[in-house]
Order: sequence, then structure tokens, then C-alpha cells
Amino acid sequence: MMRTVEILLVIIIMLGAFLTASHFAILPSPRTVSPLNLVKLASTTLQTLDADHSLSDTVFKNSSDPAWTSLQQALSACLPPNIIYNLTVYDTQSASGALYKLNCSISNAANMGVTSLVSSYLATSANANFTVTPQRINNTLYILNCSDANGWWITGYTAQNLAEDLYNMLSPYFEPSSIIMVNNTAQLGKLLNGTDRLGNEIKQNAIVINTFGECVPIPTEYCQGQPRGDEGYDSAGGQYAYTRYCHTLGNRTRAYNWTWVSIVGYPLYYVSNKQFFANQQNNWGIYGMNMTSQGGINAFLRALDGQRFQYNATSIVNGTLMTVYLSQDALNYCNQYGIYPSPSQSATRSLFLSINSTYNLRTTTYLFNPNGGTLAGAVYRNVVSGGLLAIGVARTPDIRLTALGLLCDYKPALIRSEYTVAGTSKLIVLQLGTVGGA
Amino acid sequence: MLSNPGSPSNGTLYWGTSNCTITGFGLQDPESTGYMLNPFSLMRLLPSNQVFYTGKWYGNLSWGQNGGYLLMPQSECVNYSTVAKLLGINGTLGMYLEIAPTIAVDVQQTKTNNLTLSVQVNGQGSPLGNASLSYLMFWANSIGQGSIPNLNFDSGTLQTDPSGKATKEFAGLSVDNDTTGYTFIVKASLGGISGIGYKSRNIYIANTGNVVPFIDSFQNGTIYLTHNFEKAPGDSNGTLYFNAIFYSLPDNFVPTAHGIVTGNVSFGGGSPFATLLIPPEARSIPGFLIVAYQKGNAFGLTVMPWGIGSIGFSATMGQNPLNTVHEWVAADIRQVIVSDIAYQTKLLLWSLEGYQVTK
Repeated sequence: MMRTVEILLVIIIMLGAFLTASHFAILPSPRTVSPLNLVKLASTTLQTLDADHSLSDTVFKNSSDPAWTSLQQALSACLPPNIIYNLTVYDTQSASGALYKLNCSISNAANMGVTSLVSSYLATSANANFTVTPQRINNTLYILNCSDANGWWITGYTAQNLAEDLYNMLSPYFEPSSIIMVNNTAQLGKLLNGTDRLGNEIKQNAIVINTFGECVPIPTEYCQGQPRGDEGYDSAGGQYAYTRYCHTLGNRTRAYNWTWVSIVGYPLYYVSNKQFFANQQNNWGIYGMNMTSQGGINAFLRALDGQRFQYNATSIVNGTLMTVYLSQDALNYCNQYGIYPSPSQSATRSLFLSINSTYNLRTTTYLFNPNGGTLAGAVYRNVVSGGLLAIGVARTPDIRLTALGLLCDYKPALIRSEYTVAGTSKLIVLQLGTVGGA
Repeated sequence: MLSNPGSPSNGTLYWGTSNCTITGFGLQDPESTGYMLNPFSLMRLLPSNQVFYTGKWYGNLSWGQNGGYLLMPQSECVNYSTVAKLLGINGTLGMYLEIAPTIAVDVQQTKTNNLTLSVQVNGQGSPLGNASLSYLMFWANSIGQGSIPNLNFDSGTLQTDPSGKATKEFAGLSVDNDTTGYTFIVKASLGGISGIGYKSRNIYIANTGNVVPFIDSFQNGTIYLTHNFEKAPGDSNGTLYFNAIFYSLPDNFVPTAHGIVTGNVSFGGGSPFATLLIPPEARSIPGFLIVAYQKGNAFGLTVMPWGIGSIGFSATMGQNPLNTVHEWVAADIRQVIVSDIAYQTKLLLWSLEGYQVTK
């Protein structure tokens, strides 16, 4: 009983002590607990003053210009009467010495009191030019532009149109002397034989873009009965004897560590030489062509893997129409390089992912997301040498996908001019404080 | 709420020019960055004052203030309770949001014959001297076919003196005996900020009344032009002839006429209201409606903004805690832009769960 009474007494004493202490406790003022957010107020004030670029225009003017008076009036008009301010503008300087140098200052108070907060804003001169310079890809770019060959699945375009457009799109990323247009099959023959059109030794690590769609130009000398016919024609392929030529292309791609680019549809499905195949058509009325069918890409990949020629008509392409989507990497590079093809595309010639194991390939760049064991656009590289960018979207070709695929794989840096270059930018600092009250 | 545009339930970017509900609250202009607010989202905020008209409640942001009306259908507005729930403060914090022009542009009529208007431009506590003014003047003092008042238009520029004042005389115009009705809209700009004000001579014609516009649908741009006696019965059913024109007002301050409706309204005479439809292409552009009305030799003009900001209206939401007793009211201020006009938003917050700080 006594224990219970003692406990009750202790509770009463403690409660009394707490209530007494609470009564005399000094709580902070509401202003201290929840002060006006001067940083945000300063920040939004600067943004408001520059909504029509007036602030940026004014800070680049001489301090005696009447625009400064207008700015001070506007600043005073924006801020509540109990707010004091100091707006200071700094010049940006070159790297030597201090980065910022005081340029001008306006204020409505002799000093900013005990507490004040600041927000800064970087204004850019309307007269400054900021440039973005792409880093050059240190490789040679060959673009097949053969006037004596026909293309297929490039409906609405000619290979020459596409070659020109690709040149314009990719030229910022290569040295001008490193972009070589292969203007006819004879020049292509030289390339395959080890020299370019000027007689220079061909370059290792080059990129070869075939702008002829599902077809590839073939030099006459690689055709049946011609000096290099055994590298372009093999009767083991039966009616698709020119699959041997695709093997030669794969062989050169491996030997020189090229990256072969197929811009649309089924890679290497036909060979074309307007003169040699003048009387042969592709069953769709386009003359100067000879079909290699499904064996073409197999022959190419066998050679890329260092295997000897053997005709293989196994299909490694899924011909089902499917909607495919750009990969997240590709979408990111769209923003980086300013190339914006549609993020969803119709694909009817997606390569099976199983080619990686069959031909010792690894996928270095996913242009599209894989879809059901197939991939509509990617860069594949043989573990030893050589690569293939195959874009299996339906016709007509969108060469932005080609450019994006290459840029995703080579990733040239973009070098931007600095915003702190002297004379191009001003740093504006708005300091706010309050008057009156604690 | 100022730096996100909100989430309309209809899958579009905009909820200000639709009747849809919202699943996220935000006032930013979806096409802008930073503190640029959508003038139409602000127009859908339900004010605390409301009026009842023919079976429907309307939010009353302005009933004839300086001759301007803004009455919005309550059922299509976003109310405080919805906003509080969407912000996650329902039942824990009270909120009062006020969005008002930073620059006050006040227009006063100083002379009736050779009509003279005085414009006073003030910032936050100080006059705005040497500000550039651009004005739009609409007036009616004559009638055309079918007794429809002719609507005239003029525009020009002025400059305030060091005390922030400017005067404009319209020689030949007289408002004596209500023989001229006018709407004067003026925009003031200085140093990168702009404000706007207006005055409309919205007279109450003796024994007849005036014309009051009600917004019936944000989404369809439907506006009812009603006989004022229909709202507040007087002692007559006098017919008012009107000429109503909707103008869009882009940032360049050059108005473009879109919907035009003429006719008459009368109290108890079978024509209590007329309907004006803002064309679809103009509904997403801020602007204003001018209604010129007349009876006999008396003319009046009414103005109604389409989008907060086009003639400098304010918007509020919640109950001002200064009118009630609350402890620990926290305040914050931001500068924002609405339709090229500088506004300030003031947000007041207080706890609904007692004196202590709410976790």
C-alpha cells in the first residue's frame, strides 16, 4: 500500500515539475522556426527579371546605361518592402587569376544586416557563340556509292542519295580525308584487292557502309570466269553461287578488322553489277542483280569467324514483322548526338541471337532491344577481328539509324566551348535580407 | 506545386482547359520550364466566394470589380479539399495560396467629357516611374443594325512619370449620361517585369441592369451572357442589346478577335441569356471577352478574362489564416510569370494538429 502511495507521489511530483518547466520554457518565434525562404525568393526573382532576357541584356551594358536604373526599379518593385537586397554582377575571366571579377553592384541598403542569403544566376551574352566540336573517329570511312550497281529495299532512294546523306551526317565525326566514297565497282575491286581508289594501301579498322540495302555491289573481276572469279563465284552454291563473294567480303572484313554496315533488310541477299548481270533480274524487275539468298550472310559470318567457304542456306533471320524499340543506350545517344529516329520501328529481318555462339561473335552495341531471341539492330564483333552492324528494319531505310548505330559503337566525344570564357558570361548574385522584427 | 504541371486524368498535358479531374496537383505551364504558371490551371481553382445561377453554383473570383467578371462553374473547378488531398496535407496542415500581380496597375476615370483616364503603376511599396505602357481601348457609343452597339477599338503607348503616373485623354469621348461605355486595358513594363490593369465602365442601366458573363464549360469554351436581373431581380424586364467579342491576347499584346455574338437579353422576356462559344483554336490562348450592351442612349461594357493574367486577375485558394486564429503560420513567397505578367505567389501553411510541430 505504501509503495503504491510513494509511486503516485513520485508521478505527481514529476508531472508538476514538467508542467512548471513547460510554463517557463521560451519557445522560438515562428519566424525562426519557419523563416521566409530567401534563397528561393532570390532565385525566382532573378528568373522573373530574365524571363524576357532583360536581365541578361542589362548586365552586359555599361554601368552608366539607363537600363541599370530600370533594373533597380524593377528589382525594388518585385520584392516586398521589408526585404533589402544587393545585386552584384561579376565578369567571368580567363583561367589566370580569379575566375570572377566584380563588375557592378546595386543595393537598397547600406549593409545587409546580420543574416542574409544569396542566389546566383549565370547570364550569357547574346553576342557569344558557343560551339560543340565532335571528336574525330580515328578510322577511315568507306561509303559504297557505286554508280554501276543497283540497290534493293532502298525504295524511294538511290544508293547514291543515301551515300551523300550519310556523308553529310557523319562527316563531322571523321577527318575529311578519312571519308572515301567508293564510286564504282572497279574502285570496290581495288579496295578488296588491298588498295583504295587512289592506289593507297587500304586502312585497317575502317568502316564500310553498304548503301545498297539488301544488295551488295560486286566488281566484274570477282564474277564468274573473271580473274578473281574463284573469290566471287563457287558452283557449290548452286543457283546461289555468288555466296562465295559474300565469303570474300567477310574474309576482308576479318583481315582488315573492318566494320561492315548493312543499312536495311536482309544483309547480302543479292550481288549487283549492272554490266555483268545486265540480263538478270531479281524476280522483281530490277536488272543487274543475282540472288545469294539466305546463304549470303552465313558465308560472310563464316569468313568473319575464319572458317573456309561452305555453302549454308540455313536461315539466321526471323522474317516475322515485329515492332522493335531503341535500346536505352541508343535513346541516350539520340540526345547526345542530336539524331532522333523514331524510337519504335518495324523490323522484318532480325538476326537470331544464336549467331553469337555459332560464329564467335559478341554484341558490342544494342541499337534495339532484343525481341524473342532476335535482334533487329546491333553491332556484332568477332572475338578475333572484324565486325558487322546489321539493321534489319523493314524498308524504306532510315539512315539516321545507321548513323546512330555507328556513333553508339564508336562514341566520339563532343567538346563544348566553356561558358566561363572571358566576356561571354556574367555571374549575377542576388543577396536578400529582411528588416524589422527578430 | 509551382514547378510541376500536375497530372490530368484525361491523359493530356493540360487540365486548365479541360473539365477533367486531376490525379496530381501542379500549376506550372506544361510547355514551359521554371516558374511559369499556366493561366488556365489558375482559373480552375475554386475561390471561396460563390454565386448561384439557374440551378448551378459558380465560383466568384470577381463580380464587377472595375467592370470585370470571372464566374466559373463550381463543378468543373478544383476545390480546396481535392488539392489538400492531392498534396497529402488533408487534415494535418491548413493552406492558403494567393497568386497576385507583382505590379499594381490602377486605372481611374478623372474626366468624363473628353474622357480622361489616369494610370498609376506601383511595385511592392513604391511607384514604378518611367515604365512603358501599352493600352487597348474599346468603346461603344453608337448602334448599328438591330440596335446592336458598335464596338470601337484603339491602342497606343504611354510612359509613367517618376511618380508612376500617366494620363490619357480621349478627345471627343464623353461618358456623361452614360452615352459611352468603355474598357481600357493597360500593360506596364520596366526592367524585365510587366503588370497589367483594366477599367471597364460596367454601368447598371436604370431599371434594366447589365450583362454578366458566366463560364459554363472550360473545355468547350462556353460562356453564358446573362441579363443581370436574372441573377438579382430588379423592377423591370428591359431588353439589353449586346455585342460580345472574344479576343485572344498573346504576349505581343496585340488582340485578335475570334468569337463574335450579337443579340439581346431580357429579364422574364424569354431571353434571359445568350451563349458565346470560344472557338477551339482560341481556347488555349489567354484572352478576354468584351461585352458592349446598350439600352436607349446608355452604353456599358463588361470584360471577362480567359485565363488568369490576361487582364491581371488574382487567384486564391483556401482560407486566409489572417482572418482566423492559427498558430505557427509559415509563409513563403515565390516570383512567377503568368501570361508574360509578373506575379507573386504567397503560400501560408499552418498545423491543424495543435500547437506543436507536426511530424
